[in-house]
Amino acid sequence: MADAESGGRRSGGGYGGRGHQNSKKRRYRGDDDDHYERRPQRRRYQEPLAQKVRRELLQIAESQTRTPEDDARNIATIVVEGFDDLEMVKSFHELILQLVLEQPFKIPFVAVVIIYANQQKTEIAEETLARAGQKAQQFAEAGSWREFKLVLRFLACLQRICDGEGVFPILDELFNKAADLQEQSAEDAVGLELVKIILLTIPYALQERSPAFEERTRDLLAKTEIIADAPHTLHSLVDPYPAVPEGVERPMAASSVISLLQKQLQHESENNWEFSCIPKLIQNVAPGPDGEAAVKKHTFPTIIIPEAVNPGSRPLFPEIYFSLYADQELETVPPTTDISSTLLRDSLVDTINMLDFNRTAVAQCLIDLDLYWAQGTFVGRGKQFDTLRELAADGKKIWKPEDMAVDAVFSQIFQLPSPEHRLVYFHSVITECCKVAPAAIAPSLGRAIRFLYTNVDYMDLELAYRFLDWFAHHLSNFEFRWKWTEWTGDVDKTNLHPKKAFIVGIIDKEIRLSFAKRIRETLPQIYHPLISEGKEKDTPDFKYASDQVPFAKEAREIHGLLRNKAPDGAFAGPLTAIARASLDHSPTSNPLLPATDAFVTAICFLGSKSLSHVLSCIDRCKDRLLALGRGQLVTTHPDTTTENGDNDALEAQPEIVTGDGAAVKRQIVQSVVSYWRDHPGIAVSLVDKLLNYTVLTPQSVLEWALMTGSSGLPDAGAQAADGADATNDGMGMGVGEAGGPREAGRAGSKLAEAYVYEMVASTVAKVTGRVRQIVAMRTRGEVPEQHVAMLDEHLERERADMRGMLESVKDAVGGVASGAADGMIEAEGQVPVSQEDLQLRKQWGLRWYKVFERKGIVEEGVVGEAAVQMAAEVARKAAEEAEANDARLAVKEETGTDEVKMEDANGEANGYGDVANGDDEIR
Amino acid sequence: MAPYTMRNTVDRLDKPSTYTANKVEALKNRKRNRNQRDDDREGGREKTPEFQDNLKNATTLYVGNLSFYTTEEQIHELFAKCGEIKRLIMGLDRFQKTPCGFCFVEYYNHQDALDCMKYIGGTKLDERLIRTDLDEGFSEGRQYGRGKSGGQVRDEYRNEFDPGRGGYGKALTEDLDDEKILR
Repeated sequence: MADAESGGRRSGGGYGGRGHQNSKKRRYRGDDDDHYERRPQRRRYQEPLAQKVRRELLQIAESQTRTPEDDARNIATIVVEGFDDLEMVKSFHELILQLVLEQPFKIPFVAVVIIYANQQKTEIAEETLARAGQKAQQFAEAGSWREFKLVLRFLACLQRICDGEGVFPILDELFNKAADLQEQSAEDAVGLELVKIILLTIPYALQERSPAFEERTRDLLAKTEIIADAPHTLHSLVDPYPAVPEGVERPMAASSVISLLQKQLQHESENNWEFSCIPKLIQNVAPGPDGEAAVKKHTFPTIIIPEAVNPGSRPLFPEIYFSLYADQELETVPPTTDISSTLLRDSLVDTINMLDFNRTAVAQCLIDLDLYWAQGTFVGRGKQFDTLRELAADGKKIWKPEDMAVDAVFSQIFQLPSPEHRLVYFHSVITECCKVAPAAIAPSLGRAIRFLYTNVDYMDLELAYRFLDWFAHHLSNFEFRWKWTEWTGDVDKTNLHPKKAFIVGIIDKEIRLSFAKRIRETLPQIYHPLISEGKEKDTPDFKYASDQVPFAKEAREIHGLLRNKAPDGAFAGPLTAIARASLDHSPTSNPLLPATDAFVTAICFLGSKSLSHVLSCIDRCKDRLLALGRGQLVTTHPDTTTENGDNDALEAQPEIVTGDGAAVKRQIVQSVVSYWRDHPGIAVSLVDKLLNYTVLTPQSVLEWALMTGSSGLPDAGAQAADGADATNDGMGMGVGEAGGPREAGRAGSKLAEAYVYEMVASTVAKVTGRVRQIVAMRTRGEVPEQHVAMLDEHLERERADMRGMLESVKDAVGGVASGAADGMIEAEGQVPVSQEDLQLRKQWGLRWYKVFERKGIVEEGVVGEAAVQMAAEVARKAAEEAEANDARLAVKEETGTDEVKMEDANGEANGYGDVANGDDEIR
Repeated sequence: MAPYTMRNTVDRLDKPSTYTANKVEALKNRKRNRNQRDDDREGGREKTPEFQDNLKNATTLYVGNLSFYTTEEQIHELFAKCGEIKRLIMGLDRFQKTPCGFCFVEYYNHQDALDCMKYIGGTKLDERLIRTDLDEGFSEGRQYGRGKSGGQVRDEYRNEFDPGRGGYGKALTEDLDDEKILR
């Protein structure tokens, strides 16, 4: 993974084909990019030493012909010989730590370079230890625990050249802090993280074999056991399969990582601390020219874990070991009893998350996985699955590097409550892996997909949605090729069946990224009925084109007015006409609903050409829509408002028609969804925009999605009887306002539709995101003193709204889950609905419930009163402590005992200080 | 002083292309030269060069190599994976006012634009590898192709047949037509 600047044009493994030698040929092409290519060729020159060292270091262990030992020794020699070159030495030291932080696989190799260099030039190791110690200190203070873990691992690998007890005193201190934290709160996850760091450092610390270290380790493990093995209260929150019914086998154990680590280490202690996957480099370092005894040993850097442990910027949760292949019939990945499983996974996941700025490099690294671990850890690359069985029968190890790589990426896609990066990043890593090594990766991926599909029924709903989103996006990058015939057995199932719902969702998402005709080509015949004729139409029909539909004339008039960009007042006529007619027909109904339906449907129809069209149309009409949403249809004086919601007012004040505004908002959603029923993706993004315009409120979207039957919509039943609304739209799209008797048995049906989940989840995310933003502003201390009270009040309000919203979602779907929702009880008695359907709907209710229950808990942990107070407290303490440390260290430096150099203690000297403190919030 | 940042061990994908970087650099130099001249006249000393540039907080991306048939909705579906989209402007043929294979996507946040460079640039949309580049921001007029034919310049002299972008290069087809006439 050498970078282009240092290693010619090499990037991500292969040599790019655009070398300078072609410059003459390309001269007349006139491409913009050619600017540089035209430069006259320079005379050969001696590559600066700094650059050479950089190139060699970046490529360490990447060669398939040289051994990593040779690489390390070679680099050490160059650095020692060129020690006068200050620029080289400086860049060498910087790069060492950069590699530790960005490419964790290489930590043992990099450590060996230092160990070799130390044999001849002790200054090098001294400087490295000082820098690493100082970095670790910064990370501990900033709460950047992953970075801290990596530097600590590096230091653990350097114990060989240190006196005394090496990393163990720090591990002890970490444990004490973890124990304190655990004692303070049962929900503490920071303590778990610290224990994880301890357990993941031990294998590297024991690469330097010494009975004393082994003794220390045993002591530590005896202590960590209580924390590691105790079931954690938040564990069920992050379970990818939370609702597996009794009698059904769990798809995967999903044990907590630290409990696994604890057991695995105990197992290793009985196996002479073998750690078979770690390359035995450190143990095999050859003694230097002067013999081992003559090599200078250094003092291990002092690292103080701050008194108040900084939890870091990303909320921590217990980590579970997610694996699609582990503990199955064929052992293609290490079993969860083997320490290799967690060690490999940890490095893989860190690499993936640290290098998100170059997915190609990540993919290359994943494919080259086997280079960085002990020989014989894996079966060869790209081994066919069928041949593995024979190998296994012969007692050979059959760990597939591809399976491990794919497993690691999926563990991130399916991380709860949220992954570190945007999901699309992990999509792109998989895509890239498929490009680098298609023949090797594709079969592994296929098996992963089959596993996920087989178990989709009980998967956490949010995760099932992520699966759907990834799968469709992935297929869109590979000509939509998939063996659909495998799933034909599920096509005829009811739309409520989780697998059928999944297939329907996939096809919809595929179409969104492409178009219906193309997707139809990629599917077997049996799937074709799932792509309705309407999906192949770019512009859905305007239902009012037919005179059969009530108010067709008025709606067409509205459409004409919209097309001619008529002023707002012009719409009063036809809208009032609809409202009046509706009142005449059914005096108790909400007269605004049919008017709203006509208006919004006309807007959708006019704007059907493109998103821009419909948005500019909404923009023009937004005042009218806002007024309707307030329950007012103002006909003559646009500025008049009234408090009087009584329908009798119509007689007295002919210029204002009123009705329930909440119902109008739901009608707006319903009209948008009805118009775009064949392209729900467009409906979802329109609803999102309408939320931005505040035409819709989050509450109204949720009500539309989750309220069922007539109970939620008192004024809708009569409306539906009028036939003006969506009763005829069928296929579960018309449930909302058209909640008349016909819909009574269908409570919860909408929960099976992926787009409904998408709409609700994005609406909820909008609200929670806003509250988080306020909290971030509050705790970051960016707000001037006098505004704090105002901000707090604002936070109070928004938080209450958010809680109310989440509660209402839980209530609604909880009712479906328990079968207590209105329609469901009736259905059980009279309407002919099968028990199977009812059961499926309950299951959907339960899966929805789990998702929003989790969201509630997660948000409380970030924006709840206690959380906000604690965050402020931690920020204050950390600042104090850092200050105290600064002072203390400054004194030390003056007195000449500088264990830690202070040149960049404020974290300004490189990008990491910023990252550590910065705002990489969950998006 | 600009914070000193260490080079990463692998290249970053969220940097502007050399084309855009050069353009911005040229603009900056022009400005600096102008300031320099002013300073010379006033006999003042050289000002600290400004590190601020138009791309530092860019929220807009130029998206290239789209098919002429790719719709706003498709683009929206893919690009919303990197954050909420503020504005989407389709590149149009100057004369026909039909899509001509590029667009501008504007996000609310700079970080979203960078994420998009990292995660979406170079992946496929509508089965074509698309190109993304940081952009200093849309201004009226930039939505039109700058080629002679009204489309993008790169479509004028293309030798290969590209069914998603109007077949052969426009200029090339014109040349062929001319030849026919001469014969």
